[in-house]
Amino acid sequence: MGRIKEIAKGARSLIGSMGVTLKHLKDEPVTVEYPAERAPISPLQRNAIRLIEKEETPGSHNCIACLQCEKICPSNCISITGYRPEGLAMKRPETFDLNFALCSECGLCLDVCPTATLGYTKVYDKAGYTRADFFHDLLEEYRETEEQVVEHLREADRRKKAEREAKRKAEAEAKAKEAGDAQ
Amino acid sequence: MAELIQIASDEDRDTFYLNMGPQHPSTHGVLRLRLHLKGERILSAEPIIGYSHRAHEKMAENRNYIQFLPNPSRVDYLSGMIYSIGYCQAIEKAIGLEVPERAEYIRVICNELNRISSHLLWFGTFLLDLGGVTPFLYCFDDREKILDLLDLVSGSRLTYCYGRFGGLVNDVTDDFLEGTARFCTAFRERLREYDRLVTQNVIFRNRTIGVGVMRPELAQQFGITGPCLRAMGMARDVRRDEPYGIYDRFEFDIPTRTASDCFDRYLVRIAEMEQSMRIVEQALAKLPDGPIMAKKIPRKIAPAKGEYYFAVESARGHFGMFIVSDGSEIPYRIHLRTPSFANLSTMRTVLPGTLLADTVSILGSIDIVLPEIDR
Repeated sequence: MGRIKEIAKGARSLIGSMGVTLKHLKDEPVTVEYPAERAPISPLQRNAIRLIEKEETPGSHNCIACLQCEKICPSNCISITGYRPEGLAMKRPETFDLNFALCSECGLCLDVCPTATLGYTKVYDKAGYTRADFFHDLLEEYRETEEQVVEHLREADRRKKAEREAKRKAEAEAKAKEAGDAQ
Repeated sequence: MAELIQIASDEDRDTFYLNMGPQHPSTHGVLRLRLHLKGERILSAEPIIGYSHRAHEKMAENRNYIQFLPNPSRVDYLSGMIYSIGYCQAIEKAIGLEVPERAEYIRVICNELNRISSHLLWFGTFLLDLGGVTPFLYCFDDREKILDLLDLVSGSRLTYCYGRFGGLVNDVTDDFLEGTARFCTAFRERLREYDRLVTQNVIFRNRTIGVGVMRPELAQQFGITGPCLRAMGMARDVRRDEPYGIYDRFEFDIPTRTASDCFDRYLVRIAEMEQSMRIVEQALAKLPDGPIMAKKIPRKIAPAKGEYYFAVESARGHFGMFIVSDGSEIPYRIHLRTPSFANLSTMRTVLPGTLLADTVSILGSIDIVLPEIDR
């Protein structure tokens, strides 16, 4: 008798579970056939870092090689060397390398960047055979235009300097005039 | 030579040792259990740990407080948000930093979503261990939705580094708020389904009811916390006992059961998911406008010389951080008190006398995460 009861109980729970499964048969699939189609990624998704291109001057970035990101990185995956081009107030990066194999995507480098030049790339499924495949040269796309950009910046600096000097001259003249008036 | 070889007695001949793990699907990581068996009965059991030790505590001594930010979420990768934000709260308390209201609310929403996702993963894999494959797929569907939501705000799916001292990295979007509200309504329906699919299932009940009973005195001996403790009938929860953040502003119950077997631990976790949703809904309703970062954040994060202790309720129990500062920017010592370690230590007492087949369900029911035990 007990056995029959147990079988009945088992059958009831089985039917209950099967009911749930049957209910889901008509559902839309929730999976995405990955290589053929891709699920949308979050706009904030963290990934390998990149230098953001300046909008007003294409082909240039704002990095000033201050090494803040290199200093804060917990995994030491960023290495930068900077140089100061002739007649320029700010430094420029000569090399900007990222070892993505070490990166833990904490985003601390983005937080400290004073010029907000760092951003994330959107490539999330890069695989490689050697460690060298994960070395990113962030300046790669900017190398060709670098000379032009430096020239442009130099010009801007020169203009700024001239403006500053003109202003100072004007102020000095105004002062001298004031002093003359007082006399 | 002959004397050196000890001949086993007849009694010894019946017993044998069995290594469960380190690569066993139901140990949820790299845990090795050394089981002394007589037939199918366990005579003694010894968990052997340390296979995924990554020296997080030592790493803390070599970097400053900010650089340790990505680490806590890697200690327990299933409730990374709770750990990551818990660490921020610990340091904020140590240096006396006020966090804006909006950030506090977002933190609570993210923490509770993370708790649900952690319980969901436990629920799926626990049933997988017991031989039920179907619920696992539904769980991962639901969990995926939470991961997508957290991805929307934090930019990562599992090991979050979302908290910062004094606030958060990104503000939430309307997409996130709508998605969370939508998820809450859909998930209530799902919970009812799980009840029909799993809780009422005869095989599941037979394999869990009365299995792996933990005596209440074990709680004191080993320091059991979290759902395992609440299944013993003790309503202890850090969120209620020592409210951190703004948890004292929310209404929620602490679900308890009394039998302390695998089935009760399961029911407590299911009830906890419901309570987490209640908190999320309250937080969504009250979410204020405003900044998400404190205005004045000191450039140097250096707590005054002394010792600090801060605890949060992770999905597995009481997670505490003991920070010793010598007044510099680099911590002198950070000790992490992780709940899984204490919960796993009971296995030596709980397992003897049970059947080998029940080991899987007992081990699964305490919800261990091995990287958290080894740290």
